[in-house]
Amino acid sequence: MDLPLESALSGREPVPEATGRIAGRPLEEWNAAYSKVESYFHALRVRNKVLLGRLVIQVLNRAMRRAPAEPERPAAHLAAEEMDRVVTEWFGQVLQEPPTGADHMLSTRGRLALLLADMPGKWQDQFLQPGPWPEEFVNRMRETYLRAGPDFQLSKMAPRPLDLLEPLTTLTAISRLPYARMIAIWVLFALVLVAVFLLTHKF
Amino acid sequence: MPQPPTEPSKSAPTPGLVAGPMPRIHRGWRVFFFYSETMLLTGLVSLLFADLLWRTGWDTSSTILLLLFIILFLLTAVGLMHAVCGFVLRIMGDPRGITHLNDYRSRSIAGTSTAIVFPIYNEQVARVYEGLRAAYESLEKTGEIERFDFFILSDSTNPDKWIEEERRWLGLIRDLDALGRIYYRHRFNNEGKKSGNIRDFLNTWGRRYRYFIVFDADSLMSGDTVVDLVKLMEANPQVGLIQTVPALVNAESLFGRMQQFANRLYAPIFITGLNFWTEGFGNYWGHNAIIRSEPFMQCCDLPHLPGIKPFGGQILSHDFVEAALLLKENWQVWFAYDLEGSYEEAPQGIIENAQRDRRWCQGNLQHGIVLFARGLRGISRIHLLLGIFGYLASPLWLLFLLTFNATLYFKMHTGLSEITVRGRTPFMTLNGPEHAFLIFLICMTVLFLPKVLALLDLVLHPARRRAFGGLRHAAAGAVAETFFSTLHAPLQMLWHSKFVATILLGIGVQWGPQKRTADGIAWLAAVQAHWQHTVIGLGWGALVWWIDPRTFWWFAPVVAGMILSIPLSVFTSRGSWGARARAAGLFRTPEELSPPPELAAVASRMAALEKAGETVPAAPNSGLAEAVLDPYVNAIHVSLLREKGINPENQDSLAAMGVGQPRVRVLGEKLLAEGPEALRANEQLLVLSDAETMSWLHRQVWLRPGESLAAWWQTFIRQYAR
Repeated sequence: MDLPLESALSGREPVPEATGRIAGRPLEEWNAAYSKVESYFHALRVRNKVLLGRLVIQVLNRAMRRAPAEPERPAAHLAAEEMDRVVTEWFGQVLQEPPTGADHMLSTRGRLALLLADMPGKWQDQFLQPGPWPEEFVNRMRETYLRAGPDFQLSKMAPRPLDLLEPLTTLTAISRLPYARMIAIWVLFALVLVAVFLLTHKF
Repeated sequence: MPQPPTEPSKSAPTPGLVAGPMPRIHRGWRVFFFYSETMLLTGLVSLLFADLLWRTGWDTSSTILLLLFIILFLLTAVGLMHAVCGFVLRIMGDPRGITHLNDYRSRSIAGTSTAIVFPIYNEQVARVYEGLRAAYESLEKTGEIERFDFFILSDSTNPDKWIEEERRWLGLIRDLDALGRIYYRHRFNNEGKKSGNIRDFLNTWGRRYRYFIVFDADSLMSGDTVVDLVKLMEANPQVGLIQTVPALVNAESLFGRMQQFANRLYAPIFITGLNFWTEGFGNYWGHNAIIRSEPFMQCCDLPHLPGIKPFGGQILSHDFVEAALLLKENWQVWFAYDLEGSYEEAPQGIIENAQRDRRWCQGNLQHGIVLFARGLRGISRIHLLLGIFGYLASPLWLLFLLTFNATLYFKMHTGLSEITVRGRTPFMTLNGPEHAFLIFLICMTVLFLPKVLALLDLVLHPARRRAFGGLRHAAAGAVAETFFSTLHAPLQMLWHSKFVATILLGIGVQWGPQKRTADGIAWLAAVQAHWQHTVIGLGWGALVWWIDPRTFWWFAPVVAGMILSIPLSVFTSRGSWGARARAAGLFRTPEELSPPPELAAVASRMAALEKAGETVPAAPNSGLAEAVLDPYVNAIHVSLLREKGINPENQDSLAAMGVGQPRVRVLGEKLLAEGPEALRANEQLLVLSDAETMSWLHRQVWLRPGESLAAWWQTFIRQYAR
């Protein structure tokens, strides 16, 4: 990125050079670019219409400056790139982490910090604004992290095999049968009933 | 990037981990007394039944009928004895309950650490989280929240559910200011299902917590009850597990409200009776229980059973076996049957109830193998056996009825006189029909006396009677519930018989998607589920009528339930019918009439979410779209994936899935260009599991021109434009 963030955010409006065109592109292209950028800021829950409009225009201004040098690329594409760049650079400044380009970590961390610091609820006016930022906002952005769990205390449960051959054992050692005496009494009772039945009924 | 601060371990795990020998003083005679009474009753009535069979001429079918009668009557008598013992003990008081063993309430739980875990699998996310929120808020009010951490342990395989869980989790911790107290963990695979999910939690964090309390997706416990459970564990260091008895709540359909009413009215006497003979040798029902982490980790990792399904492989109904393994190692397991404030929900219709039974049936039958494992305690074997016969009883009852029909047919067509000789039963001079009627009366008494005892229990406990809305309403509810259960029982018999047969034959049962209307099950779905029952009922009724019209009327309740199964299923699934019954004062429960704050909170929040359209199932793949497009949801998802990757336990799973390989980026390109339909379910899960690809996708979907993206993405992007 060749322009510093501050200057980009406070840049002048490009002058339309011909009727129906801005920065060499048809108005419809810029309309599509506006929609795309606005959608993304909507997705970031920037709900204040004044702030939203201002942020979109700031991003489009950057795209318009690039447009003449890259005539083959659609305006929406340029705007999306500028939007990503503006947001990532701002995250880098707030979080004091330089963007590395290939790594998406900063963007992820920044978006998470926005959410946990409650940007949509409390700090919409600070989003994409140049510093200095309120101390509370900066602290909340920098100190937030997401923990899905406490520190690991790893261990390893090991299954103990079940010996499923108990019947063979009990057949050879009936006295070890659980509740052997109880069962013996119940069996005796059943035998008595069978005997009573057999003795009182002729087959 | 700031690193999360390292937390000190909350406390040492359980001190003194070796359990002492189990007390045998009371247990032996209680088991002997309980089952001897059961045997005595069964023996005498079986003798009477054998005499009846003998009067009409003894043959092979008589022997079969007698054996089946003995088994079936024994099982019914076990139920009766639970009710009788429970009824008597609730009058006399039982000092052998876990809550009466010592003064646990004065115990401090300072220095303890307890994890409250919610293992979930593709559940209704809003309901799970509102239950968690209610439990959290209730626990906060006790002033002991610092001793507890909450874990959502997700095994969800549905990407939409997975993303919704993450999104709502963050909302929940922000609402409750509970970051660092409510945690979320998603597994890459659901190996070992629920027991594997718990094992994974214990392997990662188990040593941080002296106890853990397992909730189900639809269960809830009050903060006071949770604290009481920890105090009970602290006061009884020899106890490994305490199971509460959850009250069924939140039912709206007629079926659900009847089940709920029956549970609330009958359960107290049954569970008191159960505790009479189990004492510290109780059982585990899988949730709403507190478990001592260390012994559980040492004893309860379940092995795979040898052989093939249905008996081999993973132990499905793990809870009974885990309790048995704790008991085997001398850790006590108790029912805290008199501890209030433990709740769960139940199926809302006959078909959903059967679907749940199908799962439980397979798990319980599998216990047939575990039953003979070496070293298990006798009482554990009784628990396992009763669980098995909970399902085997149905085919045995069916066999009994069929054998009876066959015998009747044979006798009616031989031309022999019906009663050949006088009975030899001492002290009775009854003719054949009187003899048969006496046995019928005894059977009915054994079946229905528990319900009468439950009502008498209400008479003797005024506070409980008032909680049910008065004796008149409770009695009317019990009569109506008995009428329904008479019609429902034959359906259960057919269903359970089919389940047992298909499981033993290794055949799966296909359930079509539940077509529900706004007010219960749709007629077409009921016809699909019940047409066989109706045909069997009509055919069986006609057969019995043809054999002997007099006998038909004895069979009428059995075939009526089958013939009426379709309307019975439809109407009892309706919330409007449940509401009508409630307006008529039927099936009211204490929680309905005076909802505890936790239940009221869940109900009001769920109503608000419903009004806001938050409980409506999202469009297919909307979770995937959200995870890619939404800047915050994507950030949460990627952050959680990164944190998950840190756990060495996960690294093998990630590698096995293919996370980090170039193929994932190719799938990502395909997803952007062709939409989610171009990816198979496992490919979608792979993309969702790759942090780098998900982060890359988020930027690409916003950077690329619309024409290079699938139209599907454009639809979702347009939603953000509003």
